[in-house]
Amino acid sequence: MTFLNRYSPLKKKEAIFGWKLVSPTVILISVLILYPVFYNIYLSFFDVSLSIGSENKFVGLSNYINILKDSTFWRSFGTTVAFTLITVIGSILLGLGVALLMNKKFFGRTLVRALLLLPYVTPLIAIVFSWKYVLLPIDGPLTKFLTLFGFSSGMDIINDPNNSFIVVSIFNIWRNFPFIYLMILSKLQAINEDYYEAAEIDGANSWQKFLHITLPELYFVIGSVALLRGIWNFYKFDEVYLMSKFANTLPIYIYEKAFTGVPQQGVAAAIATLLFLFMMVIIGYYVRKVLKW
Amino acid sequence: MKKLFVLMMVFILSVSAIAEITFWTTETESNRQTRIKALAAIYEAQTGVKVNVVPIEENDLMTQIPVAKNSGTLPDVLEAGIEPLLLLSSENFMDQNLNTEIVNSFGDIYPGAKRLLSDASGSSFAVPFHAWVQGLWYRKDWFEGRDLGFPYSWHNILTAAKALNDPANGVYGIIIPKKANAFTQQVFTEIALANGARPMDADGNLLLDSQEMIEAFRFYKELGKYSKPGYTDVLDALKGYLSGETAMTFYSTYIMDDIAVEEVQKSRIDKFDADLVVNTGFANKMINIRPTSYGQMVGIGVLSNSKNKSDAEKFIKFLMSPKNYVYWLHMAPGGMNPTRSSVAESDEFLDNPILQRYGKAKIAEIVAALDEVERFEFIEGKVLTDMSKLDSNFVIGKAINYMFANDWTPQQTAAWAQAEAKRVLGK
Repeated sequence: MTFLNRYSPLKKKEAIFGWKLVSPTVILISVLILYPVFYNIYLSFFDVSLSIGSENKFVGLSNYINILKDSTFWRSFGTTVAFTLITVIGSILLGLGVALLMNKKFFGRTLVRALLLLPYVTPLIAIVFSWKYVLLPIDGPLTKFLTLFGFSSGMDIINDPNNSFIVVSIFNIWRNFPFIYLMILSKLQAINEDYYEAAEIDGANSWQKFLHITLPELYFVIGSVALLRGIWNFYKFDEVYLMSKFANTLPIYIYEKAFTGVPQQGVAAAIATLLFLFMMVIIGYYVRKVLKW
Repeated sequence: MKKLFVLMMVFILSVSAIAEITFWTTETESNRQTRIKALAAIYEAQTGVKVNVVPIEENDLMTQIPVAKNSGTLPDVLEAGIEPLLLLSSENFMDQNLNTEIVNSFGDIYPGAKRLLSDASGSSFAVPFHAWVQGLWYRKDWFEGRDLGFPYSWHNILTAAKALNDPANGVYGIIIPKKANAFTQQVFTEIALANGARPMDADGNLLLDSQEMIEAFRFYKELGKYSKPGYTDVLDALKGYLSGETAMTFYSTYIMDDIAVEEVQKSRIDKFDADLVVNTGFANKMINIRPTSYGQMVGIGVLSNSKNKSDAEKFIKFLMSPKNYVYWLHMAPGGMNPTRSSVAESDEFLDNPILQRYGKAKIAEIVAALDEVERFEFIEGKVLTDMSKLDSNFVIGKAINYMFANDWTPQQTAAWAQAEAKRVLGK
């Protein structure tokens, strides 16, 4: 603790006390997060044996090389980036629009505000089945309704493998926009009315008020939720896999590669490490440039 | 202080003296768990050995096993379907010698059931525990009216599907699954094997674009013309049959209570057809150029690392002793069928309202199909572990899904399946 000698005794005591206070968190993070991360990196250099009585074999970088040489990996990577961009932008636009509407006063607003949260708070498996049910060919209520407008009743929109990407993207936007709407709405309510009044006195129209007051005020909220949703959607497995077997995003590639048949844990660890590095770089750049930390 | 020490030692010793075994079961439904725990409690009362029953989803098994291996918490006894048992056995998790001994000790396990869980030398990965059979359930009354014969052969099935298809009145010839999932693959397996088609030969060479396979895809697509539109699935097959919407449907013997029991049927379709059980026929095999049947065997076995193998062995024998065995099988009458002939023929097993409705002869017919059950994973006594990789990636299911979605020819479908299988296996 020689570095503490520079401080006065009181400061020194304070610093030690501070460390004591944060130590439980530091220990917990080390044990529950850092250890698994490093163990995962360590495993990625091995051919992990599941057999009873045989040891893990060190294979150097070959797990990484095999993955990077696999064209399916790159295709899945591209699909995942497209999926993440579309769903994040889509749910932000929808969330923003709905939040602006819900910020206006109208009869029954509280009820509508609560109902809007349903897609996000309902258990995933229940809404997946509801979607599949309403769009069932022939018997599905929505399909029956759509036939009034000339759609074929034998059409099976959700389960058509050619629609998989668009179906999982729309589903994800619909499911997750309430989260964004909620965050934006809470910020909208905190914007000082005086700004708008001042702008109105200066003759600003609605669009100008939105562009020069609302949007700048929302900048950091939108920036943060975009980051969170970006991270979550990049790793999204459950929603995608439950809606379609054909979406081929990276988490599904990992599942297919590492957990079907006899699990290949070394390969899984290598993919996880690659994604971890990629996300760290992107997040680092994003928080610096967009969130301006 | 000394007294306390002695007391503690006695306590610790007595606790450690209680023998314990851990039993992983894939029967996770709560009513099944109640029965299994009751059996475990009886076993403990009789022997003093505590059985920790751990319910585990079959899909999670292959990810839980490595975790348990690393943390030293592998079970002593495991109950699971063929696929995970095969994979575990290939990684030396199952004590084949002991499991073979247990199988032989019963002396009355159906040879077909035994074959499905053993290698070429006859050594058992696990003890065949219970099984369901898949087949074509059909409306006997509609068939008799039109003199359509029995839907065993490809020809008869297609003729009947064509003749009974009446979409204008909401009735379809058949409901076949068209989605990329396990059910589609199960149904296709039976169809392909009836034509001698296999995705892989004994040496692991891929044969998804063979002539036999192309014909199987063609037959499947042909059936699709007389099937309910949409990418139908297992529930469409079940509900469609119960509500009289289709003349034929592929399903496992788990459909038996849905057909026969009023409350179960009402829970599915809101009404009950009391005559359905009499009007239903079951084709337990299929033939085009050779006969085959499809089913799933659930095995139970001792793991090679178990520290308490003798109790594990006794527990399996306890579960398969007639009275306990029947109690277990009646968890799902019709769905769970015995692999011991003496139990299958016993009055105790048939003493169940659902099984009685079908009668002894029908049950015997269903159980008899077990001897003919074939799977893509086994060929000439060899086990193809790569097949499980193709299965869990739904290669065949996806090919069928695409065939209907894009109106692919059977040749295109087969070529896609072959390429996809190569990709999945990294060949």
